Amino acid sequence: MNCSICGAGHFPAPARGKATPAGERSCPYQGVPYTELRAGHDQLYFGRWRRTDATSIDLRKAYQQLERLLHAIAVSIEKEDIPAARLDLGKAFEALHTAGPGEEGPEVRYLDHALSYAHRVIGDLLHEKGLPPHAPADFAEWYDAGEVPFREDW
Amino acid sequence: MIPLDRYPKEITLRNEAHVVLRPMTPADADGLWSFLRQLPEIDKSHFHEDVDRREVVEGWAKSLDYETALPILAISGDRIVGSVTLYRNQTGWKQRIGIVRILIAPDHRHLGLGTAMIREIRHLGEKFALNYLLAEVIEEQQAAVRALERMGFEKAMVHRNFVNDRKGHLHNLVVLLHPMSGLEKEIFY
Repeated sequence: MNCSICGAGHFPAPARGKATPAGERSCPYQGVPYTELRAGHDQLYFGRWRRTDATSIDLRKAYQQLERLLHAIAVSIEKEDIPAARLDLGKAFEALHTAGPGEEGPEVRYLDHALSYAHRVIGDLLHEKGLPPHAPADFAEWYDAGEVPFREDW
Repeated sequence: MIPLDRYPKEITLRNEAHVVLRPMTPADADGLWSFLRQLPEIDKSHFHEDVDRREVVEGWAKSLDYETALPILAISGDRIVGSVTLYRNQTGWKQRIGIVRILIAPDHRHLGLGTAMIREIRHLGEKFALNYLLAEVIEEQQAAVRALERMGFEKAMVHRNFVNDRKGHLHNLVVLLHPMSGLEKEIFY
């Protein structure tokens, strides 16, 4: 079931998530700017499609999620004066179209590229608002993520 | 017209520290000199002058010309903790190429400041209608290379044993290019 706050499907494992005083788990994206975009990105970032045992169904699902995410980003940057972000969003759509959908599912490499461009655009949006960049690793515990790729910041 | 109306701009780093970005002014000479003195030697290799000499930095501050070199400083409190400079030629065959130099104080690395500075220079590059941004980095500066690549710069070439540091030791020089959106709108004959 998707979260009512961010729309993403986090809390996949019953034991995970932070307990609130009322005994309910809160959404980690609650109150953060660009909630929908960040949660949408992370759902893909930690998604099943990136695993070695991913099926073509996982890949197709990721393709559709990514398409929705890119459209949501397009709406967000519409009124912003960030030409570099527009360029990256264009590249994200280009990578997505190159990826598939394909008969055996979209090509992982290009889905990955599209997601990276999407992450960069979300970063641009946050930067314009003076906010720190989005780090999926900060939300890893809310997903069924075995291992978070190490990404050194500068 | 230089698009500087976005400054001063406050940003938040990963450790929640606040930093203000703004163009350098003549009053920044002392702060910049202090900032440059704390950088490791290798970060200062590209300078044509001895930046440990105060009069060199004072000379820069007196002769600021944003049209040819636009330095954006990152200020934490009253201290300069980073700088990114966009160099441009006003005429000639490289007038649509911007050269980028980024310096980050050692105690402000790995907090996202370098990446924020790259975002800033990409924005300015677009506003100046440049076709490319060009960054040259010594290969040992791997965090900088990775950050530039993550932000869309592509390794164009690596020159082996190409540049020397101030002690005369040779280093590999990585040249990275960032194609800007204007390039795609160019009409090729």
